[in-house]
Amino acid sequence: MSWVDVPILAVFCLLIVLPLLSVLAQAVMPALFDPKAPGFGLDVSALDHALFAPRVLRSIWHSVELGAAVAVTATLTGGLFAALTQRFRLPLRALYAPVPWLVFLTPGYLKAMAWVLLMAPGGYLAQMGLLPHWGSDAFFGLGGLVLVHTLSLFPLPAFIIGSALTGLGQDIEDAARLSGAGPWRIWLRINLPLLLPAIALSLIATFAEVLSDFGLAATIARSAGFGVLTYGIYAAASDYPVDFPLAGAEALVLLTLILLVTLGDRLLRRQGALRLISGRSKPSQRHELGPWARWAWAAVIVAIGVLAIWLPLGVILVRAFTATLGAGLDQSNFTMANITQTLSPDAPALSSILRSFGYAALTALIAATIALILAARLDRAGPNLRASVTGLALGTIAIPGIVLGFGYILVWNRLPGFRDWPFPHYGQASLLVMGYVASALPYCLIIILTAVGQLAPSLTDAARLHGHGVAARLVKVVLPLVLLSVITAVLLTFIRTVFELPISQLLVPQTGSPVPPYVVRLLGHDDDGLASALALVCMVGAGAIAGLGWRVAQKHLTFAAKERPQ
Amino acid sequence: MTAALVCEDIEKHLGGKAVLRGLTLSVMAGEVVSLLGASGSGKTTLLRAIAGLTHPDSGKITLNGAEVFGPTRVIPPEKRQIGMVFQDYALWPHMSVAGNLAFALAPQRLPAAEAQARIAHALDVTQLGPLRDRLPAALSGGQQQRVAIARCLASRPQLMLFDEPLSNLDSALREDLRCEMMDLVRREAITVVYVTHDQAEAMAVSDRIAVMRSGEIAQFDRPETLYNAPATPFVASFIGGFSLLEGQGADGVFRVGDRTLHLPAPTGPAVLVIRPEDARPESEHPATSLTGRVISAAYQGRCWRVTVTVAGCTLRLDWPSPAQAGTDLSFSLPPDRCRILPLDHALNPKDA
Repeated sequence: MSWVDVPILAVFCLLIVLPLLSVLAQAVMPALFDPKAPGFGLDVSALDHALFAPRVLRSIWHSVELGAAVAVTATLTGGLFAALTQRFRLPLRALYAPVPWLVFLTPGYLKAMAWVLLMAPGGYLAQMGLLPHWGSDAFFGLGGLVLVHTLSLFPLPAFIIGSALTGLGQDIEDAARLSGAGPWRIWLRINLPLLLPAIALSLIATFAEVLSDFGLAATIARSAGFGVLTYGIYAAASDYPVDFPLAGAEALVLLTLILLVTLGDRLLRRQGALRLISGRSKPSQRHELGPWARWAWAAVIVAIGVLAIWLPLGVILVRAFTATLGAGLDQSNFTMANITQTLSPDAPALSSILRSFGYAALTALIAATIALILAARLDRAGPNLRASVTGLALGTIAIPGIVLGFGYILVWNRLPGFRDWPFPHYGQASLLVMGYVASALPYCLIIILTAVGQLAPSLTDAARLHGHGVAARLVKVVLPLVLLSVITAVLLTFIRTVFELPISQLLVPQTGSPVPPYVVRLLGHDDDGLASALALVCMVGAGAIAGLGWRVAQKHLTFAAKERPQ
Repeated sequence: MTAALVCEDIEKHLGGKAVLRGLTLSVMAGEVVSLLGASGSGKTTLLRAIAGLTHPDSGKITLNGAEVFGPTRVIPPEKRQIGMVFQDYALWPHMSVAGNLAFALAPQRLPAAEAQARIAHALDVTQLGPLRDRLPAALSGGQQQRVAIARCLASRPQLMLFDEPLSNLDSALREDLRCEMMDLVRREAITVVYVTHDQAEAMAVSDRIAVMRSGEIAQFDRPETLYNAPATPFVASFIGGFSLLEGQGADGVFRVGDRTLHLPAPTGPAVLVIRPEDARPESEHPATSLTGRVISAAYQGRCWRVTVTVAGCTLRLDWPSPAQAGTDLSFSLPPDRCRILPLDHALNPKDA
């Protein structure tokens, strides 16, 4: 520890620890943040009362039921996707290769919006006669939520199981084949047992993601009257009359569930069962399939891709360029009106876009800078401190944005000293950006820490032996080598923040709403044409900025061989 | 000659385990000394302690008469003027070959002309001139290694450390580079400490070899002394594919099973060190002949490498003719080449 660490730790506490503690304190001390008569009285009766209200019990059950169902369906879908794309040479690669990343980067509430436009009683599928009335009814309930969650979360298991598959390597399979095992037997007796830890991790990660989701909770679940915990917290913390003790109690339940899940994840990782990647194993090859199997499996993969991203994007595109949902794909229905309205200089849409882009850029720069300094400090720290900070960062990723946002309200709207602090101040953009930074910081830290950790220690040792001091080593050796990761962190944070919903929703500044709450509000008022246009413009804009930035960075910051060694 | 590097009573514990135990070592100016040992013997820890990248718990390290580590004084690595060739070469991947050299020289704040001259000289002697603008990723393994050496040479260090510099190369390249590398270092008259676990490599590069075992130096001698007169069974087992025949020494004889050899031996459990090339036909030295059961024979070009068991010990012998597995083979050893050492407990270097 040195003097540099103190401000960094203070920032970490202010951004994450204090809001979280406030939420926990609120749960057990209902009067703590009471504006009229604050008190420190411990009172479990409020928690008790809140927890046994039928509405709350139902939302807990809904969250767990939905999480469990989606964990299974998303893991199956993601596992199938990973196995097929990694182990077999399939046609139409361009149609499915970018799918997991695109799905991962597209916010849940936009995919939900597209599916509502498709599945609503008067929606596109019903108009085409493809969806019977009962199908639409079933969509607005558990079934629809499972479908949309599965399609939007399957990349997570696909990444986890995919990387485990890469680690299995070819040798294990070759050995089994030489011992006479056929392909099915190899999968059943060799690959599947070895993938079990990855499958378990996928189930856990997906379950936790569903528990903390707010995007679908605020759209499909809300209109279906399917109450879940995250939306319950939001409603209790922001709908008039606000009920902070209830929000605190619900947040406590949600955090406890997530803590249990995270503990399960830790236990699995500690067993080291995932350490399959050895330096010796050869990377696996993609097998050729017969013509029938080849096209059949390609069709399955492409179908997943179409449902998960191409169809929703298409729906948003079509809806952005049409006047009404009811007139469907009729030629006369096509218009530029929504786009024009979104881009007109004096409309609220354009200013919300500019506002969101500005906040996101600021957030990305601040979060990446803090993360870089922290990562460089940590890299020189002992293994214990490193492990504990990495663990803490991973842990804070699991904190739902809605809980963090609620914590910000408690601290900056109610806590004496913070309430009257001029900057950041509750109701202003400064506090929103601070919330954004808090939720982005763990991601940035992990991306940059991973990059710093991959640098061989000998690189800085060599600079040291040649006489270079701390600053020269950081600026001349470490920074240039991790700059691509720093820029990746900046760009990912930018995209994530432009579309961040829960914190934006809770901390909307008085000066005007950023894009995500605005889209959700438009959708709630059945103004889905403008909502689609707004989403489309944002996606195109943010995607273009990030894509361009990454391409430039990658071109100039890769130090791999341009000429082959002789 | 003066000592360029002196390590005295170096102790180091890592995770509660002693890695270096009161180790003392002295290297003369211009000398090439190898630290030879199995993994875990402490040789890399000692190298890093000399560089200043890790600090011993106690002891003293002196470099050309100046204390760089001691109870009251710790000079940080960036002030020690020590060059190091890392196992992975540690070339800065975002800088060209010349850029790597220039960045290494920068802290010395030399006049531009001198810096350029030094870089040019280092590139010249390592024959890297034509590659000066390449990035490390565009070089072969051998070229990368030469850059690592050039980078050290340009800085004119007081001492150069090599941390298993050949272990990342394939064996065909290894011998060529070893000669080339040591040629360079000797021409520049640099003092070198060289870490390796390969005894053939240590023999080839060093003036003296320190055989390390569990954080101590088991023997520190010239390569030919180590070969001809290993001090302990451990050193013998670590060098040159020697075999050890266990027996009992008493009253000037050495007993192996029911066979008594008339050789001067210490009293008590002892081992006879057998070099493969010392095996002779039984008739040449009947007083020191032995008979063993052949396990295998492998043709090696100049001879057959025959594995036999004698009194439960496995011996490797160079033999002029093939031997049938399962048959008995009688052989003798020249008495003046026989070396009998008192047995110590851990023979296997891996146990150390």
